[in-house]
Amino acid sequence: MTIKNLFGAGLLAAATLLQAAQALAASDVLVSTEWLEKNLNNPKVRIIEVSVAPGVYERGHIPGAVNFAWHRDLVDPVRRDIASQENFQALLRKSGISADTTTVLYGDNNNWFAAWGAWVFDVYGVDNVKLLDGGRVKWEAEKRALDNRAKTPVAGNVTVKAANKDLRAFLPDVLAAAEKRSDVQLVDIRSADEYNGKVFAPQGVQELAVRAGHVPGAVNVPWGQAVAADGTFKSVEELKKVYGAVGIDGSKPIITYCRIGERSSHTWFALKKILGYDVRNYDGSWTEYGNAVGVPVVNVAGTVWGGK
Amino acid sequence: MATTALQAPGRWASALAAVLSLGLVFAAWQLGGADSDSQALSLSLLGGALFGLLLQRSRFCFFCVTRDFIEQRKPDGLLGIIAALAVGTLGYHLVFGAFVPDPSSGRLPPDAHVGPLSWVLGLSATVFGIGMALSGSCISAHLYRLGEGAFASLFALFGALIGFFLGFLCWNPLYLLSIQQAPVVWLPAWQGYGVSFLLQIALLGGLACWLLLHVQASTEPRVVARNLRQLLFGQRWPTWVGGLLIGFLATLSYLRVGPLGVTAELGSVARTAADGLGWLPERLEGLDSFSGCATAVKEALLSNNGLFILGLVVASWASALLAGDFQPKRPRVSELLRNLLGGVLLGWGSMLALGCTVGTLLSGIMAGALSGWVFAVFCLVGVLLGLRIRRYW
Repeated sequence: MTIKNLFGAGLLAAATLLQAAQALAASDVLVSTEWLEKNLNNPKVRIIEVSVAPGVYERGHIPGAVNFAWHRDLVDPVRRDIASQENFQALLRKSGISADTTTVLYGDNNNWFAAWGAWVFDVYGVDNVKLLDGGRVKWEAEKRALDNRAKTPVAGNVTVKAANKDLRAFLPDVLAAAEKRSDVQLVDIRSADEYNGKVFAPQGVQELAVRAGHVPGAVNVPWGQAVAADGTFKSVEELKKVYGAVGIDGSKPIITYCRIGERSSHTWFALKKILGYDVRNYDGSWTEYGNAVGVPVVNVAGTVWGGK
Repeated sequence: MATTALQAPGRWASALAAVLSLGLVFAAWQLGGADSDSQALSLSLLGGALFGLLLQRSRFCFFCVTRDFIEQRKPDGLLGIIAALAVGTLGYHLVFGAFVPDPSSGRLPPDAHVGPLSWVLGLSATVFGIGMALSGSCISAHLYRLGEGAFASLFALFGALIGFFLGFLCWNPLYLLSIQQAPVVWLPAWQGYGVSFLLQIALLGGLACWLLLHVQASTEPRVVARNLRQLLFGQRWPTWVGGLLIGFLATLSYLRVGPLGVTAELGSVARTAADGLGWLPERLEGLDSFSGCATAVKEALLSNNGLFILGLVVASWASALLAGDFQPKRPRVSELLRNLLGGVLLGWGSMLALGCTVGTLLSGIMAGALSGWVFAVFCLVGVLLGLRIRRYW
């Protein structure tokens, strides 16, 4: 082996190492499963599971993770709203989140509700919140360890800000977009059948709207188009291509919606956090809009509500 | 009886038992996979098989052991149930501590069978007890006896399907009348795990002390086992041996899959069939929000509880074959009718109580659910009533 060859091999090795280090570094909004596994014992990192299915966390979660129940912890259980500022702050402190904590959210079903959690964190102005790219599915697929002992962390001292209404779309905002009174683009992330009004809601859900279809002017990009085969978010270029194909390129403000506002948080995360567009999530979504009186609706399939 | 029990089973019986056991192992292996869902299916089949073996070998039949005590003052069987409850109480409380570190948070542990306390629970447990006495056993014992060749149990199980359907029809009015407002009492939420554990152990210990006063000298001599097969499949095991092991099985099952229960699949079959025929109300109010032997309109053929039941029946069959307990009999018509009617009461009772002697009584009491204790008391009342009826039928 000549000196030249040795030198070349050394360069190659150095380049590989550098690449690996880059892959390991946490991005501003996403962390890889590998990064998280290396940071399980990092006292500045707090891991939180927000899963759709109850009981998943208890039987095995990422070691050290704290459980948030989306239908109790992150919402107001009486009126339809996100958790109050006071309750949310108490929840975060109880979970050991301080001002300098990096919070990593993950969950089942491709991080649907973890992304919704990230949106609630955003509304309350909490910094350093990231999603585990690929969520629970990827962690399990890579055969990384799970634990079933729940952790009760030492209380943190985070202070959350007042809810930032600019990050949240309400019915009047969506109506203004539908009636072309504002220059806002709507992204409907439900299935094509829901969007076209063939069905009122997906199988197995009780909360229905009494009208089928979508908000006039909305484009349909089902949430799954933002994820790759292994459940991680697609790359920035691919995401730009997917949304650019229907005219969503970040040149105008965007509102995302779905049925109850949770899955649309997943798309909100892709557009807002990864692509950096100006996006609000409409958490009232179709269960509010499709039940609202007197609002315009596009129902391609023409399905008529028959009281069932 | 001891001598007949030790007779070696025929060659065909042994061969069939071996085929059944291998079939179970092969099925469990085929079902298993790297993901937690397929593991749960595989573990359910194995757990059911182990449960079936334990039930068959130790004659863990809630009705039989209760009748032994009522009619002959023989407490051995009931002591076995108490042994299961004591071990399970310890195991459940240990697992709860890992799942839900703070029991006072107002949340219930996932899947644990903690049910609503209303007069409907008392009524349905009583009806269940009457059904036990009429049909000759509870649902879990009908299942393991099926493996012993008791074909009359098929009628009881069919009756239970009808009973479930009738229970679904009664659900909505009873829910709105009483169950909706009923408190769901989980003992650890009151003063923590320590107090709940000590309270239950004290209660079970007190009951055991009282029952032990009645122990009689055994009339059936223990036969010395000369090999492993005689040890396992010779004489029946004392019920407490089965009880201790069932306590462990219940804990591990809760840790990995869910609480033990035998009616979820029966109920789901009834619900799916009735729903398919359009015989059920559009919505069973609030039913799916309770933990217990949850029924569902079936969407997949294989379910955890279905495989559990399958494993139970097949393993008890294999065990009965090896032990020479497989003795098919042609039941009389009156017996069939009694099984059918008793089965209807069993199904109705376990639908409204959200489980039976296994799901609500065993898994409930182990979990520190007051509903489990209430079920036990009223079920006993039902058995006493049922035994009176049996005098005339």
